[in-house]
Amino acid sequence: MPLLNPPRGDRIYWKSVDELQADSSPLAERQREFAEPLPWQAGAAPAAPGLSRRDLLTLMGFSLTAANLACSRAPVEKAIPFLNKPEELTPGVANWYATTCGGCSAGCPLLVKTRDGRPIKIEGNPDSPRFGGGTCAAGQATVLSLYDEDRLRGPLWIGQPTSWDAIDAWIVPRVSAALAREGGVALLSGPVLSPTTRELIAGWADLHPSFQHVVYEPRSLSAVRRAHEQAYGAAVVPHFRFDRARVIVGIEADFLGTWLSPVEFTHHYARHRVPDAPGFVSLHVQFESGLSLTGANADRRVPITPSQRGLVALALLRALRLEARLEPLVPEPPAAAVDRRQIEAIAKELWLARGESLLVSGAPEVSTQVLVAAANDLLGNVGRTLELDRPSLQSQADDAAVERLIQSMDRGDIHVLIVHGVNPVYDHPESARFVRAVEKVALSLSLSDRLDETAACLHGVCPDHHFLEAWNDAEPLASVYSLAQPTIAPLFDTRAAQESLLTWIGGPSDEKADYRTVLRDHWRRNIHPQQTRYHELDELWDRTLQAGVLDLSGASAREVASGDFEDDLPAAAQRALEHFREGQANQTARLHELHLYESVALRDGRQANNPWLQELPDPITKLTWGNCASISPALAASQDLADGDVVALVHGRTRLELPVLVQPGQQEHTISVPVGYGRTRGKVAGRLGTNAYPMAPLRDGLRGAARIGVALEKTGRREALATTQTHHSMEGRPIVREATLAEYRLNPAAGNEERGDQATLWKEHPEADHLWGLAIDLSTCTGCSACVVACQAENNVPVVGKDEVRRGREMHWIRLDRYYAGGAENPDTVFQPMMCQHCNNAPCETVCPVLATVHSSDGLNQQIYNRCVGTRYCENNCPYKVRRFNWFNYAHNARFDYDMNSALGTMVLNPDVVVRSRGVMEKCSLCVQRIQAAKLTAKQQGRPLVDGDAQTACQQACPAQAIVFGDFKDPRSRLAHLRTDARHYHVLAELGTRPNVGYLSKIRNRPGGMR
Amino acid sequence: MLQGVERIRKHGFRVYDVYTPYPVHGLDEAMGIRRTRLPWVTLGAGLIGLATALAMQFYMAVFDWNLNVGGKPDNSTLAFVPVSFELTVLFAGLATAVALLFRCGLYPGALPRMLEEGTNEDTFAVVLRRRDATFDAGEARRLLLESGAREVTVKVVDW
Amino acid sequence: MRPRRALRRPIPLRAPPGERQKGSESRPSPLRPEWVDGQPTLAQITDEVARPLSGVPGAGWFACFAASGLAFLIGATCVSYQIATGIGTWGLNKSVGWAFDITNFVFWIGIGHAGTLISAILLLFRQKWRTSINRSAEAMTIFAVMCAALFPLIHMGRPWLAFWMMPFPNTRGPLWVNFRSPLVWDVFAINTYLTISLVFWYLGMIPDFAALRDRAIGKVKKLAYRLASLGWNGSHRTWHRYEMACLILAGLATPLVLSVHSIVSMDFATSVLSGWHTTIFPPYFVAGAVYSGFGMVLTLLIITRRVMNLERYITLHHLDRMAKIMLLTGSIVAFAYATEFFTAWYSGNPYERATFLNRAFGPYAWAFWTMVACNVFMPQLLWRQRVRRSVPLLFAISILVNVGMWFERFVIIVTSLHRGYLPSSWVMYKPTVIEVGTLIGSFGLFFTCFLLFIRFLPMIAMWEIRGLVGAKAAVRAEEEPAGA
Repeated sequence: MPLLNPPRGDRIYWKSVDELQADSSPLAERQREFAEPLPWQAGAAPAAPGLSRRDLLTLMGFSLTAANLACSRAPVEKAIPFLNKPEELTPGVANWYATTCGGCSAGCPLLVKTRDGRPIKIEGNPDSPRFGGGTCAAGQATVLSLYDEDRLRGPLWIGQPTSWDAIDAWIVPRVSAALAREGGVALLSGPVLSPTTRELIAGWADLHPSFQHVVYEPRSLSAVRRAHEQAYGAAVVPHFRFDRARVIVGIEADFLGTWLSPVEFTHHYARHRVPDAPGFVSLHVQFESGLSLTGANADRRVPITPSQRGLVALALLRALRLEARLEPLVPEPPAAAVDRRQIEAIAKELWLARGESLLVSGAPEVSTQVLVAAANDLLGNVGRTLELDRPSLQSQADDAAVERLIQSMDRGDIHVLIVHGVNPVYDHPESARFVRAVEKVALSLSLSDRLDETAACLHGVCPDHHFLEAWNDAEPLASVYSLAQPTIAPLFDTRAAQESLLTWIGGPSDEKADYRTVLRDHWRRNIHPQQTRYHELDELWDRTLQAGVLDLSGASAREVASGDFEDDLPAAAQRALEHFREGQANQTARLHELHLYESVALRDGRQANNPWLQELPDPITKLTWGNCASISPALAASQDLADGDVVALVHGRTRLELPVLVQPGQQEHTISVPVGYGRTRGKVAGRLGTNAYPMAPLRDGLRGAARIGVALEKTGRREALATTQTHHSMEGRPIVREATLAEYRLNPAAGNEERGDQATLWKEHPEADHLWGLAIDLSTCTGCSACVVACQAENNVPVVGKDEVRRGREMHWIRLDRYYAGGAENPDTVFQPMMCQHCNNAPCETVCPVLATVHSSDGLNQQIYNRCVGTRYCENNCPYKVRRFNWFNYAHNARFDYDMNSALGTMVLNPDVVVRSRGVMEKCSLCVQRIQAAKLTAKQQGRPLVDGDAQTACQQACPAQAIVFGDFKDPRSRLAHLRTDARHYHVLAELGTRPNVGYLSKIRNRPGGMR
Repeated sequence: MLQGVERIRKHGFRVYDVYTPYPVHGLDEAMGIRRTRLPWVTLGAGLIGLATALAMQFYMAVFDWNLNVGGKPDNSTLAFVPVSFELTVLFAGLATAVALLFRCGLYPGALPRMLEEGTNEDTFAVVLRRRDATFDAGEARRLLLESGAREVTVKVVDW
Repeated sequence: MRPRRALRRPIPLRAPPGERQKGSESRPSPLRPEWVDGQPTLAQITDEVARPLSGVPGAGWFACFAASGLAFLIGATCVSYQIATGIGTWGLNKSVGWAFDITNFVFWIGIGHAGTLISAILLLFRQKWRTSINRSAEAMTIFAVMCAALFPLIHMGRPWLAFWMMPFPNTRGPLWVNFRSPLVWDVFAINTYLTISLVFWYLGMIPDFAALRDRAIGKVKKLAYRLASLGWNGSHRTWHRYEMACLILAGLATPLVLSVHSIVSMDFATSVLSGWHTTIFPPYFVAGAVYSGFGMVLTLLIITRRVMNLERYITLHHLDRMAKIMLLTGSIVAFAYATEFFTAWYSGNPYERATFLNRAFGPYAWAFWTMVACNVFMPQLLWRQRVRRSVPLLFAISILVNVGMWFERFVIIVTSLHRGYLPSSWVMYKPTVIEVGTLIGSFGLFFTCFLLFIRFLPMIAMWEIRGLVGAKAAVRAEEEPAGA
């Protein structure tokens, strides 16, 4: 039954009622209720000819509305029977829809699990070769944003609710009037992934010279695009292929955490991090200021100041040119700037891996990007590890254009401003100037789905759908398409942004604006011809809807004419040196360089109102519910600062006040502050942390992410940080075991010599024919924390809020332990996902007086909520401290006013998992509900359970496939295989708990020359 | 007092009972009362308690519903010891108390057979049987006075 | 029928005045001390002991009662709030699941043990000096156990389901309790202990009730005492069985008291936590219990002998003896501490070592050193007799002893929990107002009960005192020429 578990390769599909009747398999029985094949099910064979899409959609729309009405009217705990059962809906059975993520600009293809018409869980689309089946934390949380209390219920005009007709009647004439004049209408939007929408916009631009489209991003890659424009004449962001890179050098690019397309990059990167990886084990060097997720995973990490980035690129390029026996072209960097021996060692490695190496930099200076591009070009990586012919279309921001727009608004040239999907009033460095400019615009409209900082300054707000309610398509990489379809009828009186624009500006055809038609039309004209596989558009359409993705990017690795850098390099080098000198001056003035970064949870802050993300501990700082200033231990010592001391970061008239956090690995002269916090609007996000965007500089028309010359002032105040981990050393305990690649090659069990597993004197209890367990590979786990949110979504884990986290009461079933080793100035970092270990000799079970936690015959440590009386003895006696206690009622309790306290928010709850009441203990259940579902499916299909039928939420979400769930009793299962691996061990095995969750030791790639 | 009772018995009186404000040690020998059988009650009850406890735990943990608790064997006899001990003591203690009250006819609201006011405070009383051949009130009075009683009153009660 | 006057006349066994003085001089105090000052007549004993029961108590009593009643109310409020809102109102967290609650539990259970020791064990050893204090000590046991039993109840996440701890046939199929869990052992141990103590206590009071009944004026009192005394008449046949029963109960209570605190200590000893998982806990805890218990007995008696002016029956000798026992048990406790650290070091177990280093020098070191000061160094003062016989000093010491013992339990529980095996989940614990209020409330409950006890029940076993005086007089009578 495909409805219960995510679609996999071996799914059985049927295409028509006839075939269905011919087929008498249990599957067919199960699915008889489906009258027509639905797009996400019309699979292996072409769909029924002549099936009308419109009928289908009316049907679907009707049913989803019905479902939604039923759901939104009642608390989710109560199952509401449908009056008339919608055709394709079975209460208690999940439907899966393929769609595209709108969480960030990466546009990962998704599968959305809906129950009774409610989307309740996001999964990655395993059919997508690029992205794998993984997701990121932010993506996982998007489903909760759908049920956000702050979403607008309908259009607003000057803050007053109004009707679409009314607001359109007001807008349309003014827009058309403005279109007549020069520079009249401006559309300020984020990067537009949808090719259809891009075409629409282009169409408008052609049609009306007075229409301009400006792309704005709080953190843009304009520099990258400019650099490539100079060198290759194409302003593109290349597509990076970490799966092909033997040697990776990152310069301030958190590509595993937040940069560009983390899920795809992690998916590719992780492949070559395991010591027995196919082909090669990659070597990763990271230069960065603050410790980022990527830096934490690097084999070698070098702390640098932002002003040093250029020089690092410069030094690398020079060393490479020398390796290549070429005239350096670029001057010798000052000795103080870089450790020459180190750079030469890295350059050697790069040179050895010509064509299989990759330099990436997120530095927002053209100069640095030019140097990096030149190095890549020199190494012959173009077309191999970075593809210019099929670039990434994710980042299209043009900071200069934004600047021009603001000026022309200020001059009053803009008569209509339409803001779509961006929030400049919050995240523009000079938002005051933007606000002043906006006030000069005759008609300003926002398409935001909520009354955010920007929308609040504009005249009208015409709320867009949430992406889970909308039709759309996406092209994150050139000619890699994916479709997005509604997984639920719009919850509120919202309208697709494109339809609003069509209504106002006018569509290609005169018929009533219907974005879906436009979408289909675009696919008919542009995408269908690109491919030969499907004759019928319907077929193409259905298949793409069902699969979610369509990759038309043909064979890769086409040689590209090497770029021409000769004349750019000296200039770039010059700029790099200037930057560095600025930095030097800054240091002599005892000032600091402020480095702004995106946190893994909140990214640029667009999902700041999402309680799951607010409570997600940052993988590095472990901070929740706010941001802090990370300072180096050295600085903390010299300034006599400790965690929680509130300081003021001052530059000119900008002043940020936030608590400091002493961050090992932080470059001594830098201070790192995450953006995305300090929102002034939003029920959850409001007044949490400090907004760091005002510190972002604008230099030569480019948006920077680092500010030189920031003074640090003590305020004398203290603020308790809401961190989930307060101790960062393993105290020499063998908790995370690691070795270098060299040691591993000599002895696979290196660092893991003492397994410590103990024999038992007791007679084993009878076991069922399954024995479930997990194996987690610490070599591939990047600590991205997607599993934490996935687990929270799957298992209805409550959000407890800042105060409770401060009291050490976060409820996450997975704790991502992060330990540092080595010196505090630049430590090694290890991550260890820690959940219930499902011990066979569980200390918690023995001490429970009422048998509320016992061992199942298939190896699960079960918690029986309704038997628990809450003595917390199990919690005390758990050596892994993975048990979580319900200190209060977290659901329907005004004291915890988050998603579980509103009828809307509770729609996200997973009906398969009970919502725990106060006073009971809870913990990881190995997603027992999924195990049961998988068993059921197998039974109905009359086949034995095979490896991979059941997946835990954390495993499915993991973009690195570091988590493997399986059955020890199945000799062919990956798990059984991993258990015999020399790297496999149990944490605290010496206690004789005999866990069913094991770990594979971490292997670092540390060539001698690099030490 | 002690001497008194002894003398009376030496002269062949049968001492039916003695009422004292506090237990006079040695008096029971003097009166020639058989040693009480209470300890046997205690022992018996204790054994019953032990048996009950063990039976209960084995039945509940092994036979009725055996669960895999921390991989421990269903019959974790050692773990059953504390409860068994406690129940043994409980049974024994309660049984002893009940037996005592029952044997001495003590129960809430019972009317005390007071021979003389103050036998619970500072007066001693010796009960002799009139029907005995050897009974002679005067003799008894003399003996008691000899054995140091300051004042002796004779009182005839009819039970 | 004798005139009432006759009854009041001194009983025959009294020695002439002159000899009494000589006697008291001729008996040097320390070795075979007088356990009752002077020779009150048997009637006087009843008079003096029963005085508080009749008539209005003094201002001192009312002051104490008001104070403890207030404390009790504070506690009641805190507990109600906590049960209504959730355990979250306490300062516990993901690693520290127990702190004040179980600390108080162990503390009160420990207090109780001294009572049983005095009333039962010393009875078996035929220690005469226990007679005048055993009744109040026994009462203290009962009230302390009541306070203790309170905490396991309210510390539950869902206290209203506490009865699930009992193995009772239920509607959930054959769902019983886990007899492997020390908490279940606790349930049985505490209930047994409370029951046996109550029985023992009540049995001991029957003859005194009889005495009171006989002299009671007023219908209500008469009826009450008649019901309570179960128709007791000093028949020696009854006395004979009665004493046997008391001996047996004492014999049962003695192993019981040892078992109870051993079982309590197993809550920790059977766990896997370093700092808890150690075999010396049972004896160590029992010694500690007796130590703190005697501290509490001293505190109480020093107050009551003053407030109820019973100095004649609770003499300096008594205080001295109890001080000696505190010295002994205190030293045992000190030795146990040393042993713990030695085993931690000698075992070579890194986790154990870390735990004990953390105890002595970690963030809770202040609590540890308070404990050491009160339980290791302070008792050593008691080597000096001057200290043992100075009431104010003893009073101060007796209070500090309990401070120290409370911290002992706190240190054991919290320092082992807040830094466990995985440093990633190391946290700090900070108590909330509610927890402190609950602790205060438990003291309120305890003292309120005790004050009511000394007001309404004979706080000294009159019949035993009579026995003491009588026997002593009998001895003297031997020495006198017969028929003098």
